[in-house]
Amino acid sequence: MVLRMKQTPFFAKHTACGARMVDFSGWQMPIQYPDGIVAEHLATRKHAGLFDVSHMGRFQVSGTGAPGFLRHALTNDCDRLAVGCAHYTMLANATGGAIDDAFLYRLGQETFLLVVNASNKDKDRQHLQTVLKGFGAVDFQDVSDPMAMLALQGPESETILQTLVTEAMLPQPKRNALGQLKLCGVDTIAARTGYTGDPVCFELFIPAESAEPLWDKLTAAGAKPVGLGARDTLRLEAGLPLYGHELGIGKDGNEIPVFAIGQAPFAVSFDDPVRRFIGRDVLEKQAAAKQRYKAGDFSDTAALPKVVRQMRLLDKGIAREGAEVYYQGQEAGWVTSGTMVPYWTVKDTVLTDDHAQRAVGLCMVAPHIPVGSEIEIEVRRRRLKAEIVARNLKNRRGSVAYAIL
Amino acid sequence: MMIDADAGYLESHEWAKKQDGNVFTVGLTAYAIEQLGDIVYMELPEAGTEVIAGEPFGVVESVKSASDMYAPISGTVVEANTDIPDNPDILKGDAYDAGWLIKIEASDPDEFEDLMDNAAYKKFLETEA
Repeated sequence: MVLRMKQTPFFAKHTACGARMVDFSGWQMPIQYPDGIVAEHLATRKHAGLFDVSHMGRFQVSGTGAPGFLRHALTNDCDRLAVGCAHYTMLANATGGAIDDAFLYRLGQETFLLVVNASNKDKDRQHLQTVLKGFGAVDFQDVSDPMAMLALQGPESETILQTLVTEAMLPQPKRNALGQLKLCGVDTIAARTGYTGDPVCFELFIPAESAEPLWDKLTAAGAKPVGLGARDTLRLEAGLPLYGHELGIGKDGNEIPVFAIGQAPFAVSFDDPVRRFIGRDVLEKQAAAKQRYKAGDFSDTAALPKVVRQMRLLDKGIAREGAEVYYQGQEAGWVTSGTMVPYWTVKDTVLTDDHAQRAVGLCMVAPHIPVGSEIEIEVRRRRLKAEIVARNLKNRRGSVAYAIL
Repeated sequence: MMIDADAGYLESHEWAKKQDGNVFTVGLTAYAIEQLGDIVYMELPEAGTEVIAGEPFGVVESVKSASDMYAPISGTVVEANTDIPDNPDILKGDAYDAGWLIKIEASDPDEFEDLMDNAAYKKFLETEA
């Protein structure tokens, strides 16, 4: 038996562009185009990168029972999500780990779109369909095939989209805002979301049959195709977690607690004291541990033995996933993701035409190591100096993200 | 140029070419460089390092992967091309001349005969693809 690889509606576009295709969770996806990962990363940060993310899972959840169901199955609270907005959320299990991380888009009062990782889609669907029994009228549809998905990320993405709008308007310039409009006559849901850390960012949901013509319009308007290789360097530079690395099962074989990642407080809501969502009891203990760590109390780390932190290498070299981390001579954890990423050099907060590279990553370490600490990472039997940092990318103000060195 | 006529090859895509006397230049093949994509880091041995045929002599890293580079021939490193780790783009244009990585003074020059010749390597690449 030969497992047939799935292709997204953009497959012909990738091969026509000369993409190098790889198997990713059963999908044939572009790892890079001819210009390569470095050029694609840099183009996204300065101009606009176009990513085919149609391999991700898309579930539409609707009906009068939908809010109640989602408030139970997901860690974030859709009662606190306005129509026309999206938020980060988790499918937690009863032991406080992540079945998956996801984004929930509220299209209407009782209509939601849940976007999940390609690698977890089947597991998520089975889990959610089991949970939804007993929540009244919930219509749960896998819309991954009829609906294609693109990400357009980077400072020029808004101007590019603006030239293609033929009806209605782009969502208001607020992170996670979404709206329905037409791009070149194509019905589109556009959301200001993304996975690159760029402050100007969009994800677009369009009918699969309109995928190819819209791809052509976007690239003709200046969007540069970007593959999975640069998608990974971009998210890593921004310190964003990836399931299977910073969520799921850790190198030690244990489940990674959801609150190990820095983004957990944005994905979990305890605001409604009577909402009983899956994993709540354990997640509350993890959140309490995180609060104690903030206050400098590391006496009880049982609920959250390690946390995910960003790091950068000080010595030459690259720290890869699995490399051991040492702090003050003691084993302190391991690298969960790491590579070399390019960056534009900056002069007076403006990106120059010069670029360089630096080795950054994420690591899972004991919680007491403060930001600014020097750590050591074992790479090929040598220990390379590295530093725990708050972030590697400055993206909180303005329209451009740039390297913090 | 994908293949150099005078070089001997390993299946791990390193080449060796006789320079003069018992000294061989060693590098990565154009095929390997193309497959790696953007090379972002390289470690080469210092002069004086002993290398053994079939054993790693250095490391090349792309964004996605770290790979050992294997010595095609045993001996002592007499020189490393220190321009390459800082300017790996040199490799893209010229894998077999400007893109040499190390020079090895061979302890047993006959080992060169154990390497694939250009025809055998070409055939090997066809089976790889």
